[in-house]
Amino acid sequence: MPPESLIEDSAHDDVAATTSPVKSSRPRGGRPSPTLRRKQLGRTTRPWLLLLPSLVVLAGLLLWPLVKVGILSVQDYEVKFGGGVGVYTGFDHYKDLLSDGDLWRTVLPNTAFFAVACVALTVALGTLAALLLQRLGTTWRVICSTAIMAAWAMPAVTGTYVWVWLFSAGDGMMSQLAGSLGLIDPETTNWFTERLSFYAIATLNVVHHGFPFVAITVLAGLLTIPRELYEAGMIDGANAWQRFWKITVPTIKPIFLVVTILSTIWDFKVFTQIYLMPGGAGSNEEVLNLGVWSYQQAFALNDYGAGAATAVLLTLLLLLITIVYIRTLFKESDEL
Amino acid sequence: MTRTTTAGRIGLAVAVFALLVFTLFPVYWMVSTALDPNAITRGADVLPSGISGEHFSYIFDRGNFGQFLTNSMLVGLGTILISGLLALFAAVAVARFRFRFRTSVLIMVLIVQMVPLEALVIPLFLQMRDYELLNSLIGLTVVYIALSLPFAIWTLRGFVATVPKEVEEAAYLDGCSWPRMFWSVLLPLVAPGLVATSVFAFITAWNEFVFAYTFMKDGSKYTAAVGLFQFFGENSTSWGPVMAGSTLITLPVLVFFIIVQRRLASGLAAGAVKG
Amino acid sequence: MRKHVIGALVVTMALGLSACGSGDSGGDGGETSGKGKTLTVWIMEGTNPDPKPFFNEVAAAFKKKTGATVKVEYQQWATAQKKFTTAIEGGPSQVPDVAEVGTTWIPQFAETGGLVDVTDKVKDSGLNDDLVEGLADAGTLDGKQYGMPWYAGVRGLLYRKDIFEKHNLKAPTNWKELRDTALVLKEKEPGMIPFPVAGGAEMFATPFVWGAGGELAIEEGGKWKSGINSPESVKGITYYTDLAKKDKLSPAKVTTWTEKEVATDFQKGKVAMTLSGNWTPKAFVQAAPDLEGKLAAAPIPGETGGMSKSFLGGSYLSTFKGENQDLAWEYVKMVTTGEFATKWAEQTNYFPGQNSLLKEVQAKNDPLVAPFAKQMTEAGATVPKTPAYGQIQATQVVTKMVQSILTGKQTVQEAADQAADEMDKIFAS
Repeated sequence: MPPESLIEDSAHDDVAATTSPVKSSRPRGGRPSPTLRRKQLGRTTRPWLLLLPSLVVLAGLLLWPLVKVGILSVQDYEVKFGGGVGVYTGFDHYKDLLSDGDLWRTVLPNTAFFAVACVALTVALGTLAALLLQRLGTTWRVICSTAIMAAWAMPAVTGTYVWVWLFSAGDGMMSQLAGSLGLIDPETTNWFTERLSFYAIATLNVVHHGFPFVAITVLAGLLTIPRELYEAGMIDGANAWQRFWKITVPTIKPIFLVVTILSTIWDFKVFTQIYLMPGGAGSNEEVLNLGVWSYQQAFALNDYGAGAATAVLLTLLLLLITIVYIRTLFKESDEL
Repeated sequence: MTRTTTAGRIGLAVAVFALLVFTLFPVYWMVSTALDPNAITRGADVLPSGISGEHFSYIFDRGNFGQFLTNSMLVGLGTILISGLLALFAAVAVARFRFRFRTSVLIMVLIVQMVPLEALVIPLFLQMRDYELLNSLIGLTVVYIALSLPFAIWTLRGFVATVPKEVEEAAYLDGCSWPRMFWSVLLPLVAPGLVATSVFAFITAWNEFVFAYTFMKDGSKYTAAVGLFQFFGENSTSWGPVMAGSTLITLPVLVFFIIVQRRLASGLAAGAVKG
Repeated sequence: MRKHVIGALVVTMALGLSACGSGDSGGDGGETSGKGKTLTVWIMEGTNPDPKPFFNEVAAAFKKKTGATVKVEYQQWATAQKKFTTAIEGGPSQVPDVAEVGTTWIPQFAETGGLVDVTDKVKDSGLNDDLVEGLADAGTLDGKQYGMPWYAGVRGLLYRKDIFEKHNLKAPTNWKELRDTALVLKEKEPGMIPFPVAGGAEMFATPFVWGAGGELAIEEGGKWKSGINSPESVKGITYYTDLAKKDKLSPAKVTTWTEKEVATDFQKGKVAMTLSGNWTPKAFVQAAPDLEGKLAAAPIPGETGGMSKSFLGGSYLSTFKGENQDLAWEYVKMVTTGEFATKWAEQTNYFPGQNSLLKEVQAKNDPLVAPFAKQMTEAGATVPKTPAYGQIQATQVVTKMVQSILTGKQTVQEAADQAADEMDKIFAS
């Protein structure tokens, strides 16, 4: 929700109305409305009517398969011609999963730290880029936002290969650069074999592919802030920093919430970008993450039950994080 | 902003430059490799060894890429139109109305996209078989609508929430009916949000691989993202065609974005209504 | 939330019910006349640089013979397993009639019950005596053969003839010579990799396990047990990894390489000698024409002479339990035997799956083909023939072991013990 006081202040600002392209929307008059009663009637059924089409699609195509994944996770499932056979095993897969040392030693820490780094950088860089775009004139804004879009539109697979190329040991551009600066010996350094450098490169790749989404969405949010709000702020003597915190941040907060939550969800699930890196498909245990691990169990080991259990674990983890997020970061406002 | 100091200008210029280098370098690499006739042996050279369109003609002649791009386009457009509309309805419902289970609906919308897609491949495949939607572009469109809806609903909800209720009330006072208010007041105000979500939906549909590949029995119904994989061999990868294909996958998104960009800019004016 | 889920279920079920009239149109096969029928064929991409003319020709011949139309869909190695798995789950309406299946996939697909057992058909056609043994073996489980061997390939030693001549070197014939040769190359050609020890290439490491007398796994009384940490295996792995670790014959970047990256650097002229598939020399020259005439091949040397065994891999043409099984078998026969089989082998540089055809290839005595043919017929090896080994490969047990030795994270014995543990766990499940 936008800060009520500011909205109210500017709601009576007549200058704003003159720039309005929408005729019927001008706040005028104060008589009680005859449509109010009709509105109350609509209040009970209308939201469900509006939601119905989306819910049907989501329920039929995502929720029901998700329920099936949940069922799979308590079964030993074997792929069979014309439909697999599942044998109920209770919570065995979960027990195995949670007692697996690798999960706690490598997989979970990798997934979590990587996701935190990616989300933080993606959101920070995306917001900075959006603020930058907002300050630019039309021409440069089009140039820069198109460049940002190019980074987003490029297939993740292609992007991954390009970053791997740049950092490949020996003759990769970055390796040679680091070598000529005396930081490493390009002949004996392979960045992909070490956990930290592997994930640093992966982070760069994911941020490059992920920040445009944040930038464009936040920019769209920034553009809905009426200029008059800033002007009013300036008249009140607020400096740029205060204007940013008092006007920009509160207004785009709902959008901020969305991009943070969604980035978290996506970055926890990152699969392609890790899988395609040297050693990322499983030959280097130290760099496994939950996505690749779940995939390995399901498709490589043909243990769909265990793969499903891992997927459910990931879902629960994300759910937990999301709820904690919403509670702590945004508790002062009624977001949900 | 109106007042900018010299230091501010320089800072701005540096920021723009850094942004362009970071975003465009991988893109440059992709395009220049696509044009390099000796792409396979390029290594780490900054400049391509030459310029030629041979990889592009190769992927059209042998890779059937024209057909794939058409398929992708149909699926992408179908996805943005329908998911944008459905999401806007849903967003208005959750942002403007208080009703029972509202929170559960919102959380459900989030949960459904938390499951790794890889885990959904088999259940969704069987599901689509039962709906008789396998091997059809319509079926694929429906899946992509489902994939892009959660994001679209949540984002648009944020945008609808930023539109002050007073604007709506004012429309009612002017005698507008609810649908009228929706189309002529709310819609223009959330246009930037719609642009953002449609760009997202388009890219989701455009780049998705697993479902596009497993659902289509008929190779002529593949999308461009699937077409790209035909150049990854078991023992070698044809980098030239892969990069040429990637370039062609990137381009339409840019064109689409430049078209909708105007909408994004005009949101500035629309936003002023709130004042 | 719960109420919502129930609502979702109702919606879904309603949608599901309305979709019930599906199913398969009953195909009454039994005849090989296929007028008006369409056969779907899945072929793996990348074997033949341009497979379309070949399959068009086959389709024309097939139409003439049976009247049926053939539709070929090309699949990619990297992604096909998922496609096969979902199609098998989907049942008869989703699987192709005929498909190219890699030998390492056969145990897994056969277990699902989707592949047709063609043992009797092969016998009836009088083909079984002519099949290349190692290859026929790879697709046979419990005496049942799941398809026709189509083509095969094996890795041997590929080296730069021009470089070797320049420094008066000869193809090594035992492990000591291999190391000595590489050491000379390291000194004389500093810009080149003398012998890549590619950590991501499983089939580069296995010849040294086999060559030292070790085994990946052994079958005893119907049960598999890992052999990767036996003294022999460890000796072979030590020799192989020491080439990189002690002698520095392979730089750090190669640690994460797969065969693809080795191939790329070879084409760039930066590799002096390497293990490489028999299908690669021609492809390398095609990609990098200046390598023409500069390549030579030899079998992989044994520890003290002779040859080290090398993985014999290949593809089958298998038929799925679809609607046109007999027609599908006709197609399989047409592609895997006689004229078309020879033609395919010529176009792809792979070896045909029948001895009689293989002999024709050998008779030509091409210096870039003959050493590989010798390797294949005299020292070809298969990986353990159980679906479990497919899982072991997919979880990269062997490459994981090699990489952790190369990076110094584990000693050879530690890494081999861990790999053995992982294998035994998968065998046991």
